[in-house]
Amino acid sequence: MKTDTTRELLINMGPQHPATHGVLRLVLEVEGEIIKKCTPYIGYLHRGVEKLAEDLTYVQALPLTDRLDYLSSIINNVGFCLAVEKLMGINVPERAKFIRTMMSEMARICSHLVWIATHALDIGAMTVFLYAMRDREKLLEMFEMVTGARLTVSYPRIGGVRCDINDKFLEELDKFIEEFPSKVEEYETLIDRNRVWLKRTIGVGVITAEEAINWGLTGPTLRGSGVYYDVRKFFPYDAYDKVDFEVPIGKNGDVYDRYKCRMLEFRQSAKIIKQCIEKLPTGPILAEESPRIRMPSSPLKINKEDIQFEIYNDDKNAEDFIKKFTEVYASVEAPRGELGFYIVCDDSAKPYRMRVRAPSFVHAGVLPKLCEGSLIADVIANIGSIDIVLGECDR
Amino acid sequence: MRFGEVVRKIFMIEILKGLWLTLRMLFSKPVTIQYPFERRKVHEGFRGRHALVRDPFTGKDKCIGCMRCTTVCPSRCIHIKREKTENKMVVIDYIIEASRCIYCAYCVEACPVCALVLTEDYEYSQYKIENLVFDKERLLKNWDEFTKKLEKDYYFNKFWQPPGIDPSRWPKTKREQGPIQIKRVEEIKREGIDESHGH
Repeated sequence: MKTDTTRELLINMGPQHPATHGVLRLVLEVEGEIIKKCTPYIGYLHRGVEKLAEDLTYVQALPLTDRLDYLSSIINNVGFCLAVEKLMGINVPERAKFIRTMMSEMARICSHLVWIATHALDIGAMTVFLYAMRDREKLLEMFEMVTGARLTVSYPRIGGVRCDINDKFLEELDKFIEEFPSKVEEYETLIDRNRVWLKRTIGVGVITAEEAINWGLTGPTLRGSGVYYDVRKFFPYDAYDKVDFEVPIGKNGDVYDRYKCRMLEFRQSAKIIKQCIEKLPTGPILAEESPRIRMPSSPLKINKEDIQFEIYNDDKNAEDFIKKFTEVYASVEAPRGELGFYIVCDDSAKPYRMRVRAPSFVHAGVLPKLCEGSLIADVIANIGSIDIVLGECDR
Repeated sequence: MRFGEVVRKIFMIEILKGLWLTLRMLFSKPVTIQYPFERRKVHEGFRGRHALVRDPFTGKDKCIGCMRCTTVCPSRCIHIKREKTENKMVVIDYIIEASRCIYCAYCVEACPVCALVLTEDYEYSQYKIENLVFDKERLLKNWDEFTKKLEKDYYFNKFWQPPGIDPSRWPKTKREQGPIQIKRVEEIKREGIDESHGH
């Protein structure tokens, strides 16, 4: 006689699922409510940014990078610029460094606001979504004031920044930063001690410190497990060594600790911006030797060389630099983790190879580890807590 | 379990706190705007729809066909048709495929004569993609449509003279570029004549 046995069911979650933050597809093997196996499939948003960059000059490849992680495009730009600056040996002026740091932290707040909005919405807290989007709008407006675009700003330049900031912007930013901690408290009032939120997050998706390091996690996802690692502290770039801030770390490595880490980062970012406004020096905002679009001396005389990009100030310098560094790696602390740019340079104005170390890609890989053995409902909480952006993951 | 925790659990203090916050929000000023009926003011220098600047003196575009914008464009969406006649370059057509543009404004920055601009218009969606391929006439029309909405009678784009770069590196025309008059020069002249007649 045949006995009734339960069979494993295959569920396709995504790529159109609203809670997968983009076009992530998870194939789940479930037994009842329990997940036996989870396989992430990526590549639905692949645009070939790395390959495209090989055909573009360094200056031209810059706008491509803010299409990677479109929620914090400035940090992506800064990462690329740092790599190219390292390659060419450009010294960025002090003012540009502070502006970059300030803008990076604004982008971090922006990105974390989207994270708290969608993460809370996925788990079932609608109000936080509305409040977070309300505050994000102010930041986007400030981006627009300076750069002329809201999302894909292309603001940093190789060797500095594009436009100078004015007093009106600083005043508005100062006003925003003054009242921002109270806004963060509002979100925390709504969900921090809420019993539904605690039940959905505490003890879910636990990853220990050792496992987190072995999986290559970075950023708040790693810090939630209690590992003290931050690119801003360990390998300071821009003006991060001149400002004072703390790196919040968690303890248990579950969804709640990662949430806590990011909530504390809001306050640290606000602190950094405040210091940047106070310490902002005067001076030039673009390095002298930065690559630029070469302008002719008069519009009527046009040589072929004028049209082409000038990458180096003097050709003899260029040779020295190329002999010194043929390949560089520079990393920044993106809101999601360590974002690295690896550039191989041959003697031309275009990168021979550009490789992006995307934190979202690494974090998507850890999803099976977090999800297996837990309930279906926890998959959503896990995806939210590792905070992936598929534009960066698939590149 | 401590007494305080029991009280918190029974009376749902944390949930009531959250509800109190949302109730308070009911009496605060709304932050949303009713979009098609009211519009947010766009900041100066917003990178929107493309336009070719109409020169107030000649009534035509200012493009000299130096191909700098086509070279600098990362998505290669600018095409210039030009002809060389007797030592002079004549631009026959200037085409921008707006659907391929990534709005980085490199072209505006590279232009030595400040002929190109990304205007502050942002509502130009089309049903057909062919309508988003702007030719020279269309780009000049975009400029007219944009300037009609302007409150001031002059216009200056901040990407024409990027403040980060030292002015000595700009070409002479770029350095001397002031705000562009929107009214045609003939009209300005005619107004002057009318005034003199009035006297």
